[in-house]
Amino acid sequence: MIGVLLLAAGAVGAMPAAKLQIPPLAFTERVLANGLRVVAAEDHSSPTVSVQVWYDVGSKDDPDGRSGFAHLFEHLMFKGSRYLRAEQFDRLTEDVGGANNAGTGDDSTMYENVVPSNHLERLLWAEAERMANLNVDDANFRSERAVVEEEYRQRVLADPYGRLQNAIDTRSYAVHPYRRPGIGNIDELEAASLEDVRAFHRTFYRPDNAVLIVAGDFDPKELDAWVDRYFAPIERPATAIPRVTVVEPARVRDARYTERGPNVPLPALALTWLAPSARSPDAAALKMVAALLGNGESSRLNQALVYRGQIAQDVSFSADLRVDKGLLVALAVAASGTSLATLEHALLAEIDLLATKPVPGAELAKVRTQLLTQALLGRETPLGKAEALGEAILVGGDAQRVNRELDELQAVTPADVQRVVRTYLTGANRVTIEYLQEKPAAKAAPGGTQ
Amino acid sequence: MRALTCLLMVAYIGAAPAQAQPFDVPPPIGVSRPVTIAPPVLRTLPNGLRVIVAQRAGLPLVTVELLVRSGSETDPDRQAGLASLTATLLIKGTTRYTAPQIAQTAEALGGQIATGAGWNHSFAAITVVRSQLVPALNLLADVTTQPKFASAEVERARRNALDALNVAMAQPAALAGMTTGRVVFGDGTYGHRPGGTPTSLARIRRVDVARLHGTIYRPDNATLIFAGDIDPQQALHLAAVSFGRWGRPTRPLVTPAFAHGRLRESAPVALDMPGAGQAGVVVAARGVARDAPDYYAGVVLNALLGGGYSSRLNQEIRIRRGLSYGAGSSFDARRSGGLFAASAQTANATAPEVLRLMLQEIATAGDAPAEPTELDARKASLIGEYSRSLETTGGLARQIAGLETDGVELAEIAHVIARVSDVQPSAAQNFARTHLRAGSISVIVAGDAAQFGDALRAEHPDTRTIEAKRLDLDDPALVSPAPK
Repeated sequence: MIGVLLLAAGAVGAMPAAKLQIPPLAFTERVLANGLRVVAAEDHSSPTVSVQVWYDVGSKDDPDGRSGFAHLFEHLMFKGSRYLRAEQFDRLTEDVGGANNAGTGDDSTMYENVVPSNHLERLLWAEAERMANLNVDDANFRSERAVVEEEYRQRVLADPYGRLQNAIDTRSYAVHPYRRPGIGNIDELEAASLEDVRAFHRTFYRPDNAVLIVAGDFDPKELDAWVDRYFAPIERPATAIPRVTVVEPARVRDARYTERGPNVPLPALALTWLAPSARSPDAAALKMVAALLGNGESSRLNQALVYRGQIAQDVSFSADLRVDKGLLVALAVAASGTSLATLEHALLAEIDLLATKPVPGAELAKVRTQLLTQALLGRETPLGKAEALGEAILVGGDAQRVNRELDELQAVTPADVQRVVRTYLTGANRVTIEYLQEKPAAKAAPGGTQ
Repeated sequence: MRALTCLLMVAYIGAAPAQAQPFDVPPPIGVSRPVTIAPPVLRTLPNGLRVIVAQRAGLPLVTVELLVRSGSETDPDRQAGLASLTATLLIKGTTRYTAPQIAQTAEALGGQIATGAGWNHSFAAITVVRSQLVPALNLLADVTTQPKFASAEVERARRNALDALNVAMAQPAALAGMTTGRVVFGDGTYGHRPGGTPTSLARIRRVDVARLHGTIYRPDNATLIFAGDIDPQQALHLAAVSFGRWGRPTRPLVTPAFAHGRLRESAPVALDMPGAGQAGVVVAARGVARDAPDYYAGVVLNALLGGGYSSRLNQEIRIRRGLSYGAGSSFDARRSGGLFAASAQTANATAPEVLRLMLQEIATAGDAPAEPTELDARKASLIGEYSRSLETTGGLARQIAGLETDGVELAEIAHVIARVSDVQPSAAQNFARTHLRAGSISVIVAGDAAQFGDALRAEHPDTRTIEAKRLDLDDPALVSPAPK
């Protein structure tokens, strides 16, 4: 073994692009009578376990006139239930050497904990408890809403590019609720009431709309018994779960917008296109396209715009794939002295090149290796494993996708890349958002509506 | 590791009934399983390079890092940012490869070479699947020992650093943060901005970068760290092949004299950013060095005040009052001296209230010892975070790099848990009383001063207001005497 390694030691970067062998993520799956899906991935490499509950509800389900509500609600899930005090989740996790967090996406909301494995039963109890019996009082509701308003100010108002980020969804969708930013706005957050909280919990936080994921150091028999004990008694409501049925139509024309902010050190530009669902057969090829254009220093956009052209301070390309139509987004911050027109021209030229010339095999192999290595890095910990499963189930639509997705990436061909670029980018309509410093005369009252 | 077990039992001893489990209380905890930390292997090559291998079976991943035990503390006068710029330039061309070739090669191996400088170290590191380790290691050796520092690349890196600095300075918390060092350390070594300033970056020439590289990047000032799925014997062989021919200079390694610096600003500093969407509030003080006897007391005191979600600052500012999305503190113990800094971002109008709460919590921590239950919970949180950091190859390499940087024995990696557990409430209190006294604390508030200036001056009449666009971080007086 050592001999073989030493033999190769003289050459840098001349390794053949052999297929990487990624060990599959092993897991079990079952469904309780009340509809709760339970996914478990056993791994004893460290004495910790992650307990996560993913709900099939996201910002797209914000009630009318309550933009930002699903996210506000996520914060309130830490504010007490019948038998849990406010912040008791922190007592059950942080105070014993664990951690917790939560996140609201466009399509789903996840609650994650990691604890020393001897605390597993407590966390199952606590997650079952807030699924069944959330109970928030007015004082906690108000103080947490204020926190979310500060989160809005931090993300949107204080970040020099926050207003641009916030405009991407709004300008990119015509009718789909994805057009409302998940962070909401101060007015609609202020309009929310405790009754809205109860109704939202009743409507969406139920066993048949959730997936429990446990990864790490546990005994499967014990886990099954505890899940049956704490989650099986939770009732499945008779009412149907409301679903977003709005379909975002294909764009029929390009559109162009200008956004402004009070502290924009360098102008920026966002180009967006509609993408197919994360569950589409084209998803893998689009992830490869995003990586070819934007993953790492050697990516095409970074080389062309930042390194060679020196016209961008920063550039990225993302395939933001969702359950319904997602977005392909090219984002660039101009280098000082560069016009947005120059930036736009260069971005489009790189995308055109991908449509007209087949990607060399070595470049495709590079991107494949990058994506697989990054996937593997995400799976080093129980937390990361459970997150990968949650994403596969809630956004990808199938737990098996956690492994299949890596096979699909390995199978993408240069022809696939060219085809999806033509279909979803060069052959489709684009939204362009220019982001500039406010004109001094037009300066609005800072801080928005406070 | 027994300490961890004991701690967990203590924390919940009163809340764990043994009888048949009702649903209205949390179920009992089980028997804890110990965290096992295998001691890393250390060997020194003939050229003086220390090689450390921490084997961790599991996924087929390896992190390899070349650590240089000097960093931004070596930045010459008027050249703030030199060590940082030098680290950035390692991967921008060598005698064999251009910058795009280096990026291309690293990324074809599935990784990326991360480089950077801290106050007392510089590094280049990459994480790859095991089958790509040999070429990754060779590339790492090439960029750290044979960088070219072409003038065009120096120029490019400078422009990029300036643009990035411009963006950061438009963000209130970032601006308050980058001003902290100058306010706390004045004209001392830690007073300059390690990332550089518009003026200092403009002064740095190619020859300065090459000279710094020649001075601090040498095998007897470096450590090569392997962490992950690699056998120690194999790693030592690979180290000898890749780095064995790296020559040790005959001239002795000279470390620059360290200056503590005078505390320049005792008055609160308000940085005015008209139109800023929030205000960043920082309360800071000089901390202690990593080898100080009260280092672990400082670690625990910081956890109590501002480490993690349940710390006192976050309790008072976010959880109880909804004034911020998050408040916390950091405790950076360096080879000489260190920095404690509490920070939060809040609506402009509430900046004075957030400042008041920070000062109050810092004072309280020195006035009275924490209840043992409160401190045990924060210690458990620290210990858990530390243990989890060792679950990834990157985290394991970072912990080892931290010990090497600070000149701490490697065996410490297995003692951290016990050291944290042993800190008593009185020791944490003493740390606050000794180092975070009212007279030694600095305050920086960056934001739209039209919305908080009057209220701030009402409570702190000596507040010094500076227009953010006139701020000069090269000058201990914060504003250059000559108008720009």
